[in-house]
Amino acid sequence: MTELLLDGVRWRPTGRDEPALDGLHLRVPAGQRVLLTGVSGSGKSTVLRALAGLLDPEAGDLEQAPAGPSRPGERGLLLQNPAHAVVGATVARDAAIGPENAALPRPEIHERVRRALEAAAVDVDGSRDPLAVSGGQQQRVALAGALALRPEAMLLDEPTSMLDAEAAATVRRAVLAASAGRTLVIADHHVEPWREHLDRIVVLGPGAQVLADGPPEEVLDRRPELQETEPAAGPSPEPELRIEPGLLTVVTGASGAGKTTLLRSLAAERGRRPGSLLLVPQDPAHFFLASTVRGELGDAADPAAAADAQSLLDRAGLAHLAEANPHRLSGGEQRRLAIIAALAARPDVLLLDEPTVGLDGERRAAVLALLEEARDRGTAVVAASHDPVLVAAAGSRHHLGGAPSPARTAASTAEGPAATDPGASDEPDRRILPVPRPAPRPADVLNPLTLCLIGILAAVGSYAVSTWQGGLLALLPTVLLAPLVLRSVRGAAWRLAPVLLSAVSLAWTTALLGEAPALSGEAWLLGLKEACRITAFVAPGVIALTSLDVTALGDALGGRLRWPARPVVAVVAALVRAGHTGRQWEIITSTRVLRGRGGRRSPRMLAGATLALLVDSLRGAEQQALALDARGFATANRRTWALPSRFTRADLVGGAVAALLLVWPALAQLLWASLPG
Amino acid sequence: MTRMRTIDLLVSVAIGAAFGVAFLGYGALYSLIGPLTAAFKPAEGILAGIWFLPAVLAALIVRKPGAALLAELVAATLEMILGGQWGWGTVVSGLLQGGGVEIGFLIFAYRRFTLPVAMLGGVIAAALEWVWERFSYYPEMSWTFALLLLAFFLVSGALLCGALGWAAVRALGATGALDALPAGRDRDRERRAAATTAA
Repeated sequence: MTELLLDGVRWRPTGRDEPALDGLHLRVPAGQRVLLTGVSGSGKSTVLRALAGLLDPEAGDLEQAPAGPSRPGERGLLLQNPAHAVVGATVARDAAIGPENAALPRPEIHERVRRALEAAAVDVDGSRDPLAVSGGQQQRVALAGALALRPEAMLLDEPTSMLDAEAAATVRRAVLAASAGRTLVIADHHVEPWREHLDRIVVLGPGAQVLADGPPEEVLDRRPELQETEPAAGPSPEPELRIEPGLLTVVTGASGAGKTTLLRSLAAERGRRPGSLLLVPQDPAHFFLASTVRGELGDAADPAAAADAQSLLDRAGLAHLAEANPHRLSGGEQRRLAIIAALAARPDVLLLDEPTVGLDGERRAAVLALLEEARDRGTAVVAASHDPVLVAAAGSRHHLGGAPSPARTAASTAEGPAATDPGASDEPDRRILPVPRPAPRPADVLNPLTLCLIGILAAVGSYAVSTWQGGLLALLPTVLLAPLVLRSVRGAAWRLAPVLLSAVSLAWTTALLGEAPALSGEAWLLGLKEACRITAFVAPGVIALTSLDVTALGDALGGRLRWPARPVVAVVAALVRAGHTGRQWEIITSTRVLRGRGGRRSPRMLAGATLALLVDSLRGAEQQALALDARGFATANRRTWALPSRFTRADLVGGAVAALLLVWPALAQLLWASLPG
Repeated sequence: MTRMRTIDLLVSVAIGAAFGVAFLGYGALYSLIGPLTAAFKPAEGILAGIWFLPAVLAALIVRKPGAALLAELVAATLEMILGGQWGWGTVVSGLLQGGGVEIGFLIFAYRRFTLPVAMLGGVIAAALEWVWERFSYYPEMSWTFALLLLAFFLVSGALLCGALGWAAVRALGATGALDALPAGRDRDRERRAAATTAA
């Protein structure tokens, strides 16, 4: 093992005036366990990136660049939000990305993934969707992804700050157990839960200046402010959710208990009158719709509103940023801005999803002060939260799902019994298998390339349609074969409706704008022919695609056809994450509608929401790039693929179907022409 | 310089995926111009440029060969999988639109990323897409209407793709989301130069 060394590194990221790292010296000997702490904005994450060797000279000014890893995955990196790191459609496939990038042989990939999932205490089946498991589970999947490359050092960026106390404790135990014998560097503003496992604490100040560095007890003696006091217990849970003017209510419950769903259904139910109810989503950036901080607080034309806006800005400590772009603010500043922007609209009810998650003590206190201010203004405030400090400040508490554990604080659950999720007592299936299907159909056994071939050859064949009779005949095989693919009548109707609708629209266009006299009988028959032709063009492909799995398509394109590996992996990741992207779009558009930015169909709303989704996607891509590069993606031009892309006898049948669809429309035309009469 | 870094690849596909999702909501725009298109179908071409936006955004942001094509292909594939009406035709459109925008930037050797180049990319994409739609979707349309459709396509490609895309990149630059990307570096240089002059 080698040590990690930063030797006077200077780093100014593009877009910042001041260097984020200003000649930092830091040496971490092999096997040491170090905690980097300090307030938000002190540069903990940047130091971790530097230690990981992932500062990109194309993205800023870099001097005294630290050496990169000597092999893929030598230094494992975990991010604050594990959802950003997900690139695989299943838990096991996600953990396999690193070994695939390192071009390991297939049996070894399977062996390493099985061991890594076990070592990271992932206790769901390997076939689960990693974007659909709890945050704690997701972070352990990310841990497994790093462990699969047998890292010498583990670098963790606030790995538990998005999690409730129990999930955080589980992740900590998994991290500490899996890191035995490795170098471990953790960035976290919570010292206490890690304390007894550390060799050293480094306290960072602004610009990543080292304020203190030494053994834990020594540093804590010198800087007593690092020790946190336990919050008071807070109100006991009530069976009813109370939404009352001047009352701060918290909704608690483990992740996955339905807190966010509850808030969203409240918003849908009671938010019909514009401005009467606002919901600040977990990511405050999803709330913004103006290009300046002041613009978020509403129309400046009304003097009373402008005075109120100014006083809100002052109290939130954002007055000096009034002209800045909301998206350029730090995480804590964005939270405060979203809250005062909501207050400026004077809603009767203010809902907030995890308003303090990921914030350090000082920033959390500032958010709490604003929530108390909202309450004192007579607003009904409802916050979904697992933050014990926020719970302690609430006037009422409603708990979702099961009885709450007696003391949900970080310290008290840190050393509980071995980590197991309820109901997961059986050993999970950790094999890498194809992505499971909802209701298996015969066509599912086809290689994705065969499914593509069917659609493409059918489209080519459809050009032979030249009369309406031939067109109707041409559709026959598609109608007969469709039941082998389609999973349900309803699903089929849903999927084929746009195709048929556009065929009808094309018939109309042709009847109206063709060479024949508009809307004459002849023009309509020409329209019918066009409708049949376009259906024969589109429908077989659309139907075949319902059996297509994008992960298997990636294996076929990358593993079998040897298309460039990195773009293939990137595209598959984007398609796998499409559902997640859709959820962000839903949050962004519904927030805009609630904030009175027009209805769901207004061009202004759609344009603004698209821009907001792009900001979200670009920032997500940045995090994903870090996670992937920490797993050897930068050099993965020649990688291996965990699952083979096989052609079987079924593909011979599929190929025959493709050939049939290619020639059938032409045959149907001939057949029709040869009929007597 | 022309090598695609990991972030370049991921940003390109992320732009495509974001539009692939947003496009599902864009159908509403067609109902807005419904009265116009009911009376005169080729007027639908006035919205065509919107569908090439992923390509022009990716080219302006990533500034490397292939970014536009990759983004547009992802958007098209996603549209096809999520329920587009043109099936594999959508992927052909994606290739032509992404390829058209690439040609626009290739003419200037991927050295100029200005408004006129973005508009040129949009126009080439529109022309290629028109050829495809003319022969695959509207072969029976009379040439008069087909040429009117082309005119709408070209105007839309220049404005809704080129100009709107360019404006969107400016707006994204202001949010800081492009700081780690080539488009952000220009902005950074300008800003720092302005600060030096002011001081």
